[in-house]
Amino acid sequence: MEIPYVVTPRKDTGLNNSKIAIWLFLASEVMLFGGLFSGYVFLRIGADYPWPERTLPVLPGLINTFILILSSVTVVFAWAALKMRKWVQFQIFMAITVLCAVIFMGFKGLEYSVKFHHQAARLTDYVMVEGHIDYEKPAGAHAAHGAEASEVDPIRDASGEKVEMNVQRFEPASINYDVARIHKPWIEKTLAEAAVAGAKLTLASDIDFNREGETSKPVFKAGSELSVALLEDIAAAQWDNRAWNAKWRTKFLRQAWKDKRADPSSDLSEAAFLAEFPNLGALAPDEKEKAFARWRAGKRARMAADVNLEAATLKHEGRAVTYKDVKLPESPNAIFNVASGENPFSLRLRNLDVITDYKAGLTEITLRDGTVLKGKQGDSSMVFHYVDGIDFQHLVMIAESKGQDPLVAIKNSWIVKENPEVAKMWELHQAGVKLLEQDLIKDYGYEDDGVTPSRVPTLKDRYRMGWQEIAYYAEIFHQKGGYENASAADVKIEEGKYTPPRVQAQIMEQFKGPDYDHRHFIHLTIPREQVMMDSKFTPKWNTYYAIYFTITGLHGLHVIGGAIVLAYYLFCGRSMYLSNPEWLANRVEVGGLFWHFVDLVWIFAFPIFYLM
Amino acid sequence: MSAHADHHADHHDHHEPGFIRKYIFSTDHKMIGLQYGITAGLFLLFGFYLMMVMRWSIAYPHEPLPEWMSWMFSDTWKSRWLQDGKVTGETYNMFGAMHGTIMVFLGVVPLGFGAFGNYVTPLQIGAPDMAFPKLNMMSYWIYLAGGLIMCASFFMESGAAKSGWTNYSPLAGVADAQYVNQWLAGQTQWLIGLVLLITSSLLGSVNFITTIINLRARGLTWMRMPFFVWAMLVTGFLLLLAFPPLEAAGIMQLMDRVAHSSFFMPSGLVTKAEGLLEISGGGSPLLFQHLFWFLGHPEVYVLLLPAIACVAEIIPANTRKPLWGYKGMVYGVLVLGFLSFIVWAHHMYMTGMGPAISTWFQTTTVLISVPSVILLTSLIISLWQGSIRFTPAMIWALAFLPMFGIGGLTGLPLAFNLVGLHLHDTYYVIGHFHYVVAPGILFGLFAGVYHWYPKITGRYMSRTLSHLHFWPSLICMNLIFFPMLTQGMAGFHRRWYNGGDAYLAKLPDSANVFGSTVAEHIDLNILMSWAAWFMALAQLPFLVNMVISKFIGKKVESDNPWNATTLEWATPTPPGHGNFTTEPVVYRGPYEYSRPDHDEDYLPQWVAPKRGATETEETPSPEEKPAAH
Amino acid sequence: MADSAEDIKKAIRTYLIVGGILFAGTVATVLVATVPMFDIGRHGFDHWDMWLGLAIATTKASFVAMVFMHLNHEKKAVYWLFASGIIFAIAMVILIFGAKADPIEYKGFGQGDASIGTTP
Repeated sequence: MEIPYVVTPRKDTGLNNSKIAIWLFLASEVMLFGGLFSGYVFLRIGADYPWPERTLPVLPGLINTFILILSSVTVVFAWAALKMRKWVQFQIFMAITVLCAVIFMGFKGLEYSVKFHHQAARLTDYVMVEGHIDYEKPAGAHAAHGAEASEVDPIRDASGEKVEMNVQRFEPASINYDVARIHKPWIEKTLAEAAVAGAKLTLASDIDFNREGETSKPVFKAGSELSVALLEDIAAAQWDNRAWNAKWRTKFLRQAWKDKRADPSSDLSEAAFLAEFPNLGALAPDEKEKAFARWRAGKRARMAADVNLEAATLKHEGRAVTYKDVKLPESPNAIFNVASGENPFSLRLRNLDVITDYKAGLTEITLRDGTVLKGKQGDSSMVFHYVDGIDFQHLVMIAESKGQDPLVAIKNSWIVKENPEVAKMWELHQAGVKLLEQDLIKDYGYEDDGVTPSRVPTLKDRYRMGWQEIAYYAEIFHQKGGYENASAADVKIEEGKYTPPRVQAQIMEQFKGPDYDHRHFIHLTIPREQVMMDSKFTPKWNTYYAIYFTITGLHGLHVIGGAIVLAYYLFCGRSMYLSNPEWLANRVEVGGLFWHFVDLVWIFAFPIFYLM
Repeated sequence: MSAHADHHADHHDHHEPGFIRKYIFSTDHKMIGLQYGITAGLFLLFGFYLMMVMRWSIAYPHEPLPEWMSWMFSDTWKSRWLQDGKVTGETYNMFGAMHGTIMVFLGVVPLGFGAFGNYVTPLQIGAPDMAFPKLNMMSYWIYLAGGLIMCASFFMESGAAKSGWTNYSPLAGVADAQYVNQWLAGQTQWLIGLVLLITSSLLGSVNFITTIINLRARGLTWMRMPFFVWAMLVTGFLLLLAFPPLEAAGIMQLMDRVAHSSFFMPSGLVTKAEGLLEISGGGSPLLFQHLFWFLGHPEVYVLLLPAIACVAEIIPANTRKPLWGYKGMVYGVLVLGFLSFIVWAHHMYMTGMGPAISTWFQTTTVLISVPSVILLTSLIISLWQGSIRFTPAMIWALAFLPMFGIGGLTGLPLAFNLVGLHLHDTYYVIGHFHYVVAPGILFGLFAGVYHWYPKITGRYMSRTLSHLHFWPSLICMNLIFFPMLTQGMAGFHRRWYNGGDAYLAKLPDSANVFGSTVAEHIDLNILMSWAAWFMALAQLPFLVNMVISKFIGKKVESDNPWNATTLEWATPTPPGHGNFTTEPVVYRGPYEYSRPDHDEDYLPQWVAPKRGATETEETPSPEEKPAAH
Repeated sequence: MADSAEDIKKAIRTYLIVGGILFAGTVATVLVATVPMFDIGRHGFDHWDMWLGLAIATTKASFVAMVFMHLNHEKKAVYWLFASGIIFAIAMVILIFGAKADPIEYKGFGQGDASIGTTP
């Protein structure tokens, strides 16, 4: 059997099978990306926070655009070479195409990894802070910051990982596990930390799964040391007893319902209804019928309340028993006490894993797997080694919706009020914005009314200090020998650029972010209760990054998929070429169509994410 | 049976594929069709079972499940998911969500499109196989993987998905959040399964459309294609274009779960377990609904069209007259396909959409009833003055007409958003779409099974058993679903577990009028539940029939046992690999029954006209004829 | 379709020109977004920048589709197939947009929060 029109086109449609298939597939891809871009539009116009405009460095995206365009040209050349039966030329162009795909993904990976290491936090007053989190250091090392501090070796946790100072620390006196849901990695981590601290975790009290006088079930003695195996044994025994109890409860409940139905008070007949309400003569027959239906429904609904499982009796091993007689003890929780050793036993918990909302002075917290820790909080501050972005736009939006003066709101925000260095920066920034305003007026003048400036600084200019700006002010602080000595007069802007004061970004900084070794930034410690939500620059940070990563990520997968197919033709296409060159040409055309589509998506994704 | 023997002889000339290549990793469209059919059938039974458990909770609130419905679970599973043997709200939600998902995505679509489409379409267009046989095999295996992943989650710690088959965020976004490893949560597995199912459907639809466009037999022009093929073509386009937005939504929701993004999570979300959620917020739950229903509505027609397609083949063959209004039906189904893409938000009237856009969606929704009515009316008129043979297939097809009619007509009021205020999320809605899907679509597909079974196996199905299957099913179906319409109008809410008894706690002396009207109809639940359980029994004769007829059914007398006209009956019985023994050529339209100028009451598409025939349209159409599509 | 070697040689010139146009379009789109001199409308990003950016992108996309993907001389069936995707994608974007920004203001639920969404 042979499928027709695999290579040669069918006469009336003029197409071969794979050409039709690829266009159908592309139509569905249009719908896929159409759905995603619809999502972008919907999220952007519905955003209840300031959408980050033009927030990505343009250069990596621009280079990637050039690379994709180049590859689009070369793939069509490769096809043309095949059509002219020039094998070597085909190989060269195809190799360039695949290489372009690899370079594209390289830049993409670099772009992603910079974001995955860049931290942001939304404070409770909606101020956004961006920067890099410090690693935990031995006591005393934090006093100094800058180059000296980075030389100190950070502390490592039990698994050898450096600890970012963005965790909730808790010193448990007791740990209560929910044995129905044990998350093994966490127990192992707890045990490792306990071993380092020299702490001992022991079962608080006996857990006996036997009925009184019986010995067939396991008994777990108080004082047994915590281990995964121990918890799993407890869990298994608990599930065992629970299943037994549930089985018997079901049986007794069935019996109880049987008893209830046999009970004369459960009579649902019309006669019973009439006996209960003898004076229904006045009602019309259909009204009476409705009343009866309602009465019966209500009575049925209430029967459940009278069904008493405990009162039912069943025959078991030849004697009548009640549920109390067969019930086995259950223990859904296993509580372990902590005896501290030479070092304090302090657990470092990701914010995401602690589901209790943070408050200072908590003595009990619940983790995601249902584990309850009792004890006392440790220092849970969030420590930024470098702050490279402070954004008041969201705070301003909230303030204006409440009818407050945004400048007053900023002045009262925690970050300005409690951090004189930031307050000074904000002061310089306002001076910079004023310069920008004047520069715009100087070049563009006023509207016809003579009062309204034609062009004014954007919200982003006014209320956001990006890394170039912060580096600029920090440089001033450094030169003046301290922020106290800096003043608004030190601020200059570059005329004609229409930006707030800022340092010039180097080429490499466009790809890798600020050069922390040669620039100055500020150090900031934020108490945990000031932090509403924190995130790296990942899809979690806001819906802009979510849709950015999703679309570009899916696009990246398409690039990889397309490159694999094209590479297959490059490396394994020879035999196809020798048997029928037209066949390979058709396949390359189809692969090329897909590749052009990938380019087409990027043509829209690039301006939308990088320039708008 | 000479054809049968010939075919076998012919088959042995080719190399015989091994057992695995022939029955498991087969690339033959017929075997893949059967694989789809059997798998989908098993999923349908499973989905049916879930519903039986739910119906227990509705009819007998607070009573433990009877032994006969729960013996198959381990005691541990029951102790986790049942409370003293009773169905808990969580379990009810889980079963409800999975009932819907399984029935729609794993049952009816694969049965209609996957099984019937795969088996019949290439035969009817005279193709040796699908255009991409390996892709076809891949579609099936991806579908199976997706289905198994979804169902396996029943036995995980988290249980299966429990946020409705529509999986609306933010409920679906926060469900199962207590599991640290989100990849092992039922809610996440549902999404992964869904993405796989969509991928499978996309591959399938690309394959179908390519096959229909490019692999038609010589002479089979567009307007000579059986209606079945047209319906499959439209279904293919619906799958191709409607599924990707849901794939986008699925991926976004997956991101919400595993990357903690906020696509569908609004700002300031607080849950009882977690307090203020550790997410950014700023997303839109409505976006999910839009993307979901952009698929959701065309999906209705993906379910429906294969059933209508089967019925449209069976009715002409058994009335011995042409399909009435073939051209009208073809254009009708094209318009139906087009309109189905722009009606989706009628599922969302209660979300606070603006009036202008609501009006748009009401208008298109009312419009789409026009082509639906054209299809149904044409089928009904086709019966007029026919000499009807009441074969098993025909009685199912006949029952399909009124049942689908009820389903369609009960949908009309729901097209208006004012009526939606009252009926939204009530059992009226449940009754409406179940009338479309269960007695409607499933009856049509049953008809298809009875109709093509002789071609697949070479034997007829038992007539007695088919009647034993049909009559109880017809009665039970109506006993299940008709009371739902009444209950819904009385205000019975679709998501009440325990039959809404908590709602009745204050009755009968309460002033709650809404609750009172519910109470007046609540005892219907018992009737409906028993009807549902009997319905399960009524499927036994069918299952028995399918199995035993393969071995002891009456053998077919010829390759064309129903004296039908379309190309699948020109193949040997059962058709071998490659389908046709000679290259089929088509000379005429698909429904040439009872032609006055012909002795027999049917004139198949493939029979060459007699020498000297004057009808010009009977010559094989030249291939140069431009494609109409 | 350009099938003979002659046609292909001619086509190669076209491909190079289109490649050049794409590069130029990319440079243009970046310039209007980043260099103040080319900034139209208000200072910073505004809807003019959006329309201009999308217009350039659409032009580039059309060149890719027409020339690289051979849509300028393709079989009729391909137009039908691909157009079906484009039409429904556009319908989807427009209708979803319409559902979010309905021209008739609806004062039902949650109008208290509505103002948060508008940038001052």
